[in-house]
Amino acid sequence: MSQIILLSSDNVEMKVDKEVAERSILIKNMLEDVGETPDQAIPIPNVNEGVLRKVIEWCEHHRNDPPPPADEDSDSRKKSTDIEEWDQKFMQVDQEMLFEIILAANYLDIKPLLDVGCKTVANMIKGKSPEEIRKTFNIQNDFTPEEEDQIRRENEWAEE
Amino acid sequence: MENNQRFSDRPTSLPPPFPGQNRMSVPVSLHSTKLVVRPLPSLPVEIIATILDYVPVSTLMRCARASKKLREMAYDDSRWVNKLVAMGVWNEGEARRRFEDALKKKRIAQAKFADEERRRRAASIGASVEPRKSIGMGDTLFDVNEHEAKANGSAAAVSKLAQDVELMGLSTQSDIQAPVKEKPKLVGVDTSDPTLTVLSDVRSARGFARQEYGRVYAALWPYYIDLVSARNHADPVVFRRYRNPEDQAVMLRQLGVFSESDSSLGWAERSSRLNSMSSIFENAVLREFEGGYEESDYDGRMKRYANVLILLNGGQGAIDLFVAKHYLMFERERLGNPMDCFTNLHSADLSMEPARRFFTLLSEAVNEQSSIIDRIFPPDVDVMIPFLERIGEDVIGEYISPLLEETHDRDIESYLKCITDIYFSVVQFSKSIHPAKGSERNFTDDITKIVVRIFEPHYDTYLQEELDHFRRLCEEEVETWEKKITDEYTATESFYLSNINRQADKIDFLASFKKVILMPVNAIPLPPMKQINLAFPLPLPMNPFMRPKPAVTVAPPSISDAPTDNPYEVTPDVTDSQAVENAAPPTPISDGRVTPQPQTAPTTELAAKAAILNTRMEGIRTLFSIELALDLVHKAKTALERAGCFVRFQGRIGEEAKEQCEQIFICLINILGQRHVKSGFDKAVTHLSQYNPRELSTAEEDEQVIVKPLVQFMELVNVGDLIQQMLDVFYEQELVAHKLTDKNDFLNPAIKEKKRFEQMLDERVAAGLNTGIDVLIKEVDYVFAKTQKPTDYNPGIVGDLGFPTDLGPSEAARKVVSLVASHTKLLVGSTDKNVLDVFNQEVGMRLWSSICKHLKIQRISIDGAIVLISDINHYTQFIVKLRNSGLTQYYNALRELVQIYLIDPQHAKQMAAVIADGTRFKGIFTVEEVYEFVTRRSDWYQIKKDVEKAMYGFGCSVM
Repeated sequence: MSQIILLSSDNVEMKVDKEVAERSILIKNMLEDVGETPDQAIPIPNVNEGVLRKVIEWCEHHRNDPPPPADEDSDSRKKSTDIEEWDQKFMQVDQEMLFEIILAANYLDIKPLLDVGCKTVANMIKGKSPEEIRKTFNIQNDFTPEEEDQIRRENEWAEE
Repeated sequence: MENNQRFSDRPTSLPPPFPGQNRMSVPVSLHSTKLVVRPLPSLPVEIIATILDYVPVSTLMRCARASKKLREMAYDDSRWVNKLVAMGVWNEGEARRRFEDALKKKRIAQAKFADEERRRRAASIGASVEPRKSIGMGDTLFDVNEHEAKANGSAAAVSKLAQDVELMGLSTQSDIQAPVKEKPKLVGVDTSDPTLTVLSDVRSARGFARQEYGRVYAALWPYYIDLVSARNHADPVVFRRYRNPEDQAVMLRQLGVFSESDSSLGWAERSSRLNSMSSIFENAVLREFEGGYEESDYDGRMKRYANVLILLNGGQGAIDLFVAKHYLMFERERLGNPMDCFTNLHSADLSMEPARRFFTLLSEAVNEQSSIIDRIFPPDVDVMIPFLERIGEDVIGEYISPLLEETHDRDIESYLKCITDIYFSVVQFSKSIHPAKGSERNFTDDITKIVVRIFEPHYDTYLQEELDHFRRLCEEEVETWEKKITDEYTATESFYLSNINRQADKIDFLASFKKVILMPVNAIPLPPMKQINLAFPLPLPMNPFMRPKPAVTVAPPSISDAPTDNPYEVTPDVTDSQAVENAAPPTPISDGRVTPQPQTAPTTELAAKAAILNTRMEGIRTLFSIELALDLVHKAKTALERAGCFVRFQGRIGEEAKEQCEQIFICLINILGQRHVKSGFDKAVTHLSQYNPRELSTAEEDEQVIVKPLVQFMELVNVGDLIQQMLDVFYEQELVAHKLTDKNDFLNPAIKEKKRFEQMLDERVAAGLNTGIDVLIKEVDYVFAKTQKPTDYNPGIVGDLGFPTDLGPSEAARKVVSLVASHTKLLVGSTDKNVLDVFNQEVGMRLWSSICKHLKIQRISIDGAIVLISDINHYTQFIVKLRNSGLTQYYNALRELVQIYLIDPQHAKQMAAVIADGTRFKGIFTVEEVYEFVTRRSDWYQIKKDVEKAMYGFGCSVM
C-alpha cells in the first residue's frame, strides 16, 4: 500500500495511506492528474495540523465506504439519514473544531464528512431561539424588532 | 501543481490551495456577505443552506428570524415547492396557469394605474412623483429574492403581499377563475372539517408554496408528531379527536402523505412509526370487514369498512381479503373434479361434459360474486379483475393443469383436442362474465389477459406437441402407404386412362376442396352455457374430411357403370343421402340426431370426387396418392385450427403460436413434397429412363400406341399440379385468411418453403419431360423401324407398278402422329403454358429430325413420293395444330424438300438447280443435306451423273 505525505498549513507532514487520502476527491483528482505517487509532500494550505489529523482519522475509519450515489440531488430525503454512532462520537468536539472540520471537508471535497458535519450542526440548532442561532452561526441581527415580530407572526403555524 | 483549472469552479469563498494564499480570505469573503462578525470560524452560505435542509420546519422558521440572509434562504420558494411535490399535491400546470393569469391581471392593473396617473398629471403637473415606488414593486412580483431584498419596509411588504394574494387568485373571491380541482369523493366523511380535506385543498401557486405548506403543516403536524411519539394505538390525539373510522382513515392517509414532506433528521423512524400505526388501524378495520363477510352483511358492515379501507389506502387490503376469502378458493372441488372427464380409469377417453359443467357453475358463481361486489364496493374501485385473476390462477388453473397433464400422459391426440376444448370453454366462460360497476372500460382486454395467463404454463408444451404429433402422424401415414405400395407393387396390373382432359376434373375437384377447407374442422358446437344443464348430449364435431369409407368403394363402380353419364354431374342429393347414412356410424352418440345436412354436403361431395379422381389416377397409384395428400392436408388443418386458437392471444404467445402454425405448414409441405411427391417423381423418372420400347410389345396391335411410363408420368404431373394447387388453396385459406402468416413477407419461412416446393415440382416436371421426350422419340424411332415398310415409299420394288390404292399417309406415319399427339395432349391443362410450349417445340423438333433421319435410310421412288408427301403432310397437319410457328417452318421446308422426289429423272438440271439453291429452304437445309436427300431416290444411280453434271457441269464448262 503506497503512502503519500500531506503537509498542513502549519507545515506539519503526515504520512497517510493513499487509499485513505483519496477519500478526498480533491486529492484523488490531483493524484490522478499527476499520474504517479509523488515523493514530495502535498500541501494542504487551508487546514491546520489538528484539523487535518481529525479529518484523516475520519477517512481512516471510512476508508472502505462505498462511493456515494451519483444523483444526490434527486431526493432530499434520501440524504438526510441519521448520523451513525461512530460519527456522532467523532463529532463531539467544540464548535470551533466542528466548523473547521466542515470547512476542511468542503475544501477537500469529502462529501460524506461534510454531510455529517452539517447534520451535526442541524442537530445543534434544533429548537433553539433565533438569538442562539445567530450566536451559533456568528451572524448579526439585521432586523428591527418589528420586522422580527412580523416574521414570527407570519410563521406562527410552525411553532410547536 | 498545475491543476488550478479544477479549482476555479469551486466556491469563491474558498480560495484555491496555492501556498502563497492566506486562509484568512474565508472570513474576508464572508464579511462581504455580511455574515461574519468575528474570529470564530463561520460557514459559507451554501453550507448553511445545506444545514437548513436538515432542520425541522419549526427550527427553520426560527432561523428565518435570525437574519435577512437566513430568512431569504428559509423562505426560498423552491424549498417549499419541493415539499408540496413530495406530498404529490403540487400541480405544475396549475401553477403556470395562475402565473399567467396573474401576469394578465397585473398588466390590466398597470394600464389602469398608468391611465390614472396620466389623468392626475394632467390635473397637477407640478405634483410629486410619489406613486412610482409602488409600480416598481409590482414589477418584481414573482422574483422572491429580489422581492425580499427590495421590500425593506415591512409594512410595504405586507400590503404588497395582500396585493399578490389578490393577483394570484388565492383569495376566495377570485377563486372562481382557478380550475376546479378534482376532489376525491369522501363517502361518510365530514367534509365541513377543513382539516380532513387540507391536502386536497392545496393550491399550486408560485411564490406561495410556503403559505400553502404552512396551512397543511399547521393542520397535520400536531397530529403527526403526537402520533409518532405515542406509546400505543389508543393514545394518539387523532383517534380521540376523530371518532368515526371514516374520518380516522382519512386522517391517517393524510398523515401518511404529509410524512413524505418530512425530511428533517429522524424522518425515517417517524415514518415507520406512522406506518406501523396505520397498519394497526388497517388490521382492525380488516377484522371488522372480515366479520361482516362471515355474517354476509354485505350492505352493512362490509360496505362501510370497505369504504374506510378505500379512504385509508385505496382499499387494496379489503380487495385482497375479499378475493382470498371467497369460498371458491377453498372449495374448488364443489365445481367438479378434473378427473371426472376421464370416462375410463386408464384409457384416454375423454368427455368434456364435466369440464363444461365446471365452467358453467364457475360462471354462475362469478356472476353472483359480481353483483355482491357491486353491493360492497363503490364503483370507482375495480375488484372484479383482481378477483378474476385469482379465479383464473387458483380455480381454473388448478382445474385444467391436472387435466391436461393427465391427458398428456395418456394420449397426445386427446391432449391436443382437450386443450382446445378447454380453451373454448374458457373463452366462453370469460364472455359469460358480467362486468361489475367498478370494472374499467378495458374489462374485456383485462379478461383476455387473464385467459392468456391461464394458458401460459401450457401453451409451450402444447405447440411443441402439436407440431411433433402432426409430423409423426404424417410420417406414419406416408410410411404405411409406402410399405403398402411396395407390397403390392409387383402384383398390380393397372390400367391407364389417357386422352382425357384433366383440366375440367381438376377445377371441379379443387372447387370442392376449397369448399371443405373453408369449413372449420373442429367446429365445436358449444351451446350456450346455460343449456348444458339440460344435459343433452353433444354431437361430436363431424370431421368434414372423415371420408365415409363405404362411399368411396361404392361410388366409383356406379359411375363407371354408366359411362355415358358425366360422372361429375352426380346430383349432390344422391351423394348426400348416401354420405349421411355412412356418416352416421362414426358419431358416437346414437340419439338419432343427424348431423346437419349443409355441413356434410361439400364433404361427401369432395369425398366422391376424390374417389372418382382416384380411380382415374389408378395408373399412378404406385407413385403417389392424392388420397394421402388429402389426408395430410386434413391433418394439417386440424392442427392449425387448434393452434390457431392461441394466435388470438396478444404478445409473445400469439407470436409463437403463429410461428408454430407456419412450422406446421412447412412440415406439411416437407412431408408431402419432399417425401411423397418428390420420391414419386423420382421413381417415375427412373422408370421413364429405363424404358426400352423394344422390350415391350404390349401395345403393338393397338391403334393407339402409348408409352406407358410416359403416360404414367403425365398423370403424375397432373396430380403433382393438383397437390400444389391444393396446398396453395390451403395456404390462402388457412394461413393467409386467418392472418397466421404474412403473405407479403418474402423472408417468411412458410413462403420460402412453399416456393421451394413449387420449384421442386417444376424441376421434377422438367426433368421428367426431358426424359419423356427422349423416350417418346425412341418410341417414334421404334415405330418407324417396325412399321415403315420399304414398299411404302418405293412401291415399284415389288414389281407391282399399279398406283397405290390407298393415297393416305402410310401406317407408320399415322402411328407416329397418333403416338405423339396422344402424349402431347396429356399435358394440356396440367402444366404451365410455357412449359407446354417448350415441351411441344422440343417434341416437334425431335420428331422432325427423326423424320429426316428416317428419310435418309429410305429409298423413294417417284410413285412412293406421293405417299411420302402425304405422310409429310400428315405430320405437318399435326404440327400446325400445336400452333408453333417455328416448328411449322421446319415442316414446311420438309414438305417442300420431298417434292424433289417427284421430279422426273429427265429433268436432272432442274433437280440440280433445286439442290444448289441454298436459299430455297430458308436455310433449314444446306446444299449438302439436300443433296443427301436426293441420293435417296430409287433411281439415283441412273440420274446421278446427269445431276452432278448439271450441278458441277457449269463449273466444268468453266474449266
